[in-house]
Amino acid sequence: MLGKGVVGGGGGTKAPKPSFVSYVRPEEIHTNEKEVTEKEVTLHLLPGEQLLCEASTVLKYVQEDSCQRGIYGKLVCTDFKIAFLGDDESALDNDETQFKNKVIGENDITLHCVDQIYGVFDEKKKPLFGQLKKYPEKLIIHCKDLRVFHFGLRYTKEEEVKRIVSGIIHHTQAPKLLKRLFLFSYATAAQNNTATDPKNHTVMFDTLKDWCWELERTKGNVKYKAVSVNEGYKVSDRLPAYFVVPTPLPEEDVRCFQGRGIPIWCWSCHNGCALLKMSALPKEQDDGLLQIQKSFLDGIYKTVHRPPYEIVKTEDLSSNFLSLQDIQTAYSKFKQLFLIDNSTEFWDTDIKWFSLLESSSWLDIIRRCLKKAIEITECLEAQNMNVLLLEENASDLCCLLSSLVQVMMDPHCRTRVGFQSLVQKEWIMGGHCFLDRCNHLRQSDKEEVPVFLLFLDCVWQLAHQHPPAFDFTETYLTVLSDSLYIPIFSTFFFNSPHQKDTNMGRESQDTQSKPLNLLTVWDWSVQFEPKAQMLLKNPLYVEKPKLDKGQRKGTRFKHQRQLSLPLTQSKSSPKRGFFREETDHLIKNLLGKRISKLINSSDELQDNFREFYESWHSKPTDYHGLLLPHIEGPEIKVWAQRYLRWIPEAQILGGGRVATMSKLLEMMEEVEHLQEKIDERHHSQGALPAEAPSLLRSSARLSSLFPFALLQRHSSKPVLPTSGWKALGDEEDLAKREDEFVDLGDV
Amino acid sequence: MWWGGRGQSFNIAPQKAEPDVGSVRRTGTLEPRSCQLGSHLASGCLPGEQILAWAPGVRKGLEPELSGTLICTNLRVTFQPCGWQRRTLIHVSGLSRVQLLRPGSPLKFIPEEILIHGRDFRLLRVAFEAGGLEPQAFQVTSAIVQARAQSSQAQQYAGISLSKAGQSSGSRKPPIPLLETSEDWETERKKQGARGWRVSTVNERFDVATSLPRYFWVPKRTLDSEVRRAFGHFHQGRGPRLSWHHPGGSDLLRCGGFYTASDPNKEHIRAVESMLQAGHSDVVLVDTADELPSLTDVQLAHLKLRALCLPDSSAAEEKWLSALEGTRWLDYVRSCLRKASDISVLVTSRVRSVVLQERGDRDFNGLLSSLVQLLSAPEARTLLGFQSLVQREWVAAGHPFLTRLGVTGASEEAPVFLLFLDCVWQLLHQFPAEFEFSEFFLLALHDSARVPDTLTFLRDTPWERGKQSGQFNSYTQIYTPGYSQPPAGNSVNLQLSVWDWDLRYSSEQILQFHNPGYDPEHCPDSWLPRQQPSFMVPGPPSSVWLFSRGALTPLNQLCPWRDSPSVLAVSSRWLPRPAISSESLADQEWGLPSHWGACPLPPGLLLPGYLGPQIRLWRRCYLRGRPEVQKGLSAPTISGLQDELSHLQELLRRWTPRVSPEDHSKKRDPNTILSQSH
Repeated sequence: MLGKGVVGGGGGTKAPKPSFVSYVRPEEIHTNEKEVTEKEVTLHLLPGEQLLCEASTVLKYVQEDSCQRGIYGKLVCTDFKIAFLGDDESALDNDETQFKNKVIGENDITLHCVDQIYGVFDEKKKPLFGQLKKYPEKLIIHCKDLRVFHFGLRYTKEEEVKRIVSGIIHHTQAPKLLKRLFLFSYATAAQNNTATDPKNHTVMFDTLKDWCWELERTKGNVKYKAVSVNEGYKVSDRLPAYFVVPTPLPEEDVRCFQGRGIPIWCWSCHNGCALLKMSALPKEQDDGLLQIQKSFLDGIYKTVHRPPYEIVKTEDLSSNFLSLQDIQTAYSKFKQLFLIDNSTEFWDTDIKWFSLLESSSWLDIIRRCLKKAIEITECLEAQNMNVLLLEENASDLCCLLSSLVQVMMDPHCRTRVGFQSLVQKEWIMGGHCFLDRCNHLRQSDKEEVPVFLLFLDCVWQLAHQHPPAFDFTETYLTVLSDSLYIPIFSTFFFNSPHQKDTNMGRESQDTQSKPLNLLTVWDWSVQFEPKAQMLLKNPLYVEKPKLDKGQRKGTRFKHQRQLSLPLTQSKSSPKRGFFREETDHLIKNLLGKRISKLINSSDELQDNFREFYESWHSKPTDYHGLLLPHIEGPEIKVWAQRYLRWIPEAQILGGGRVATMSKLLEMMEEVEHLQEKIDERHHSQGALPAEAPSLLRSSARLSSLFPFALLQRHSSKPVLPTSGWKALGDEEDLAKREDEFVDLGDV
Repeated sequence: MWWGGRGQSFNIAPQKAEPDVGSVRRTGTLEPRSCQLGSHLASGCLPGEQILAWAPGVRKGLEPELSGTLICTNLRVTFQPCGWQRRTLIHVSGLSRVQLLRPGSPLKFIPEEILIHGRDFRLLRVAFEAGGLEPQAFQVTSAIVQARAQSSQAQQYAGISLSKAGQSSGSRKPPIPLLETSEDWETERKKQGARGWRVSTVNERFDVATSLPRYFWVPKRTLDSEVRRAFGHFHQGRGPRLSWHHPGGSDLLRCGGFYTASDPNKEHIRAVESMLQAGHSDVVLVDTADELPSLTDVQLAHLKLRALCLPDSSAAEEKWLSALEGTRWLDYVRSCLRKASDISVLVTSRVRSVVLQERGDRDFNGLLSSLVQLLSAPEARTLLGFQSLVQREWVAAGHPFLTRLGVTGASEEAPVFLLFLDCVWQLLHQFPAEFEFSEFFLLALHDSARVPDTLTFLRDTPWERGKQSGQFNSYTQIYTPGYSQPPAGNSVNLQLSVWDWDLRYSSEQILQFHNPGYDPEHCPDSWLPRQQPSFMVPGPPSSVWLFSRGALTPLNQLCPWRDSPSVLAVSSRWLPRPAISSESLADQEWGLPSHWGACPLPPGLLLPGYLGPQIRLWRRCYLRGRPEVQKGLSAPTISGLQDELSHLQELLRRWTPRVSPEDHSKKRDPNTILSQSH
């Protein structure tokens, strides 16, 4: 039992645990040092990965239970990641480890994932960059996936500190060349390591066939055609090699402005209306050039406006919608709410949680995106209009809105394969500049805008509001957002398909004989074991019974809750006139004379929107049909799993959604079992022998942060700070209590 | 949608009750069909309720739209859908607002649609049918407006006669023990295993305190005379009583504030002390009011919340969060949870006596003690257990429901009970597998708080409740002659309580009180910590603590009178909250004092999250007035699965009669859910 001296002196030091996870005090360091050298974890290097620098006797602080604990180990920096090697294994032999990322360990930070580095000098926190004159005693690393690491360097040798700190700063912050990305070293080293998942049916949209298939699927092939005019990127390096345009559009028009100013097909609705996008023509001052542009656009419009094409409504995303600047500012404020250095800081912000959240306006931005997507949906679905999204390069908000609309309207996009194909089609082939937007090369902070994350957050809102409609879970979205920073997948490391192809050696023959084979993020087996992958699949999702295989979207697949708003004759005729007017606006817009708000502020459109929105929500939801999100104030929520998962204070042991999940899975299983039985009676087979993830089977209470709650609580929750405790240090009392304590222990 | 499919009604505080069932006015001009309807309606009236006006209409705003009749009586406004049975009506509280949509003024035009906002966040939207019945629409509207105006004056529910027409007079066992007899208390005491305690009958005639129940638990060794003496030194005579005995040995007590003006002698002080100590060597006094909102705060927050949740609330969507924060309601919810979580650790981690002390002992003491039990005792999370808990800690303990819910119009309105329900909802939301009851049950309880058909929530004290139900026929000495003797035949019916759910809810609705996600395997009996020897030590307690500002401070003495100045009399409010800076955190040991040991918390203990992101708005309750927000709340998938499961089982059973139902056929029958298990 506890000796008096200990209680009186230190306020209760707990006996050191068998592992060297223990309380650390400066005076104890020497006693622990011996242990440190004994246990060391070997560094696992990926193919092509090189160790750059390392430092030993680094103390990693564990921010849990509000008490300062630490683990000693080695901090290393490779050309792929920063890794901390300590004996952490004792904390990991539980269920949670089954959801382990095979590439990135718990204490690994890929260089691209580092957001901000701070040093602590004499208890003061300062951001670190460039050449340092003085080296900090503590290193704080904020990650883009919102983890926060604290590394104490006080007991590390001085030259090691210098080496590791400057190494980390250099390799995470210095501008890089594309060719120096780890992606290439990895691909070169792991040439024969090209395991392709046979089950991975994601459509990559890098062949003409893929586009034709998509046209076929959406019945868009009547009015649109896939073209190969940009094969070899002869026309434009912003466009993919293959894409889809209206059938009568001549190929010369595509060449005219390097692919700008032409309507490019995104998706066709069941009623034949299409979602189109267009990148704006270059701004010209010269009247002559303007004239040419005007007549070019007129020509385009003549082709697109003739029947069988529907009326086109233009959404100019660069003039009266969110700016990238808004998104960037909002997110950088928002993420600060979750990058918590210590729990005191957390409690300070906690009081004003809602107003802080609101002032970041991230949720409002989500709302605006969802609202815009509903507006577009309304045009397509209820008004039978084509919608043309217009943006400078058609590669930011264009990607976001067109894919959001498709998630809402096309149930195929809510399956995992469909969703991946969608990201492939709209974001990868759509030329979203992942390299710049994620600032992978650290070349310009200004360009760093989390557009894709915004999209995932919007999808999360939808999935959160309508769980049975999605084939994937929020965990899937979370790990997808994490994958943005893992430089072994090519998916999110290029600005355009052109850039990818030229750098992969497909185009040039000078470096290698055969092109590099890069991994795609959609091959989830690279990151997760099959067992862990089960957590990416939503057990509540009910697949639509496929009655006829050939026809995915025919007349009989009409949305059940569509069109309660018939477009009456009297209503449609003014729209004809309206459209003409609008074309003029469009052309003016395109030519740089921006006339804002003429289109969107129209009261009529607002009313249509309200009516559409309300009538949809007043009917029961068909999870295989059109899906609209709620956008009222109370409905937009914080994606708790992604943003709160590393904050130990935020976990509820035995609570949260995961608590019902096991029950749910059990019942699902039973239902399936019975269904199978019934099917047997009918002498027909085909019931899917579904496996519920056995991860959830354990009787142990899981935390609400599952599967990310790696920060396990070892002791009971701290609840009562005993401020007056020390004042009581009466020896007799202590002796007496000690006896009682023994008593209790013996029972 | 569970909530939408039924009739709705709103109560109007009555002007004066006349227990005259026959006096329902019938309009002479009714068509035969309507006449029938009228009489049908009358049969559903409470005694003393009069139909003032009615009109056919269509309830809007929810799918499907229902046609039916909007009825205004002297007690309530109710919408009765065609073809529904009377018993499916849901009654709710007083009106907060009547708003007429289309016509500007109700008295000049014939309304097309009427919107009624209930005080309990409900919205009733009825469109009147066109075609000859406009006068009725006009009539009913003006009747509602009038009734509303009248009810805004302070009026008493006191006179409502509560015998239930149509109830069979057969003696009926209450669904849960109402704790009105000493046997109930004894049974409950045994169930908790509180061996050191006994039921005291000292207040049998309500002469110790009218706000206390007739029976309560006191330490076994304390004599009734000591109890009487000791209780006199507490505010309103509410001395320390056992709330709950933790199976690990600790006791949770509650009591009122020390009555500082009294001058007890030594013997009295000893009695008080031994009752507080309850045989434990450690005593922790919890200053209940500390860090919790005041009653005024709660009321203000609730008013603001109500204003915010109105459908035409002025808060813009992008300002919603700060408006929500501005109500402070969630802040209060959070502080209650936080405090309850602290106390439950205090109770669980070691054998001691934890005393909740609040001046009045009728508001937050009940809230905290119920929350602590919900957190620490799995049986309190069952349907039955929760209802007994509310009956014990709120109803029997004398929470002044009538005053706090503002039914009397008194100024002390503060919906503490609704705050409690919100706290419970947060727990339910955070631990979806740990509670046997569902959100709908909480909603039903929330809405029942103002129903005028049982006494449970319509009296301030157990004494008044008992008086009304004629319990004291044999105790004429305290019987106030001002009240007329209730008819003898009624006494059985008067046993009805709010827990008789089938009075107001259909069996399908009652089925939904059950949480389909409840996983009782989570809380096997083994959760109980081994019974530790209780230290029934005579003599003064060896350590006395004050729990305040989230920390424990040692106290010199339990009672404030022995030496002056006293500790509690000065109030703990001056004690500074320990400033915890990030620097000091590094050195400071957190956690329990070491000699208490690193006691592993028992698995049955729930520790709720009370961080900003974890406290949610109870949308299904507060945003009911905003149907656009309500509609999309997706149906509980688990219950959907359960339905499918039972459907499949049914199918299978039909085909193979020999297959034994086994464990699959867990029949869910409302009676088994709500009836007593013993």
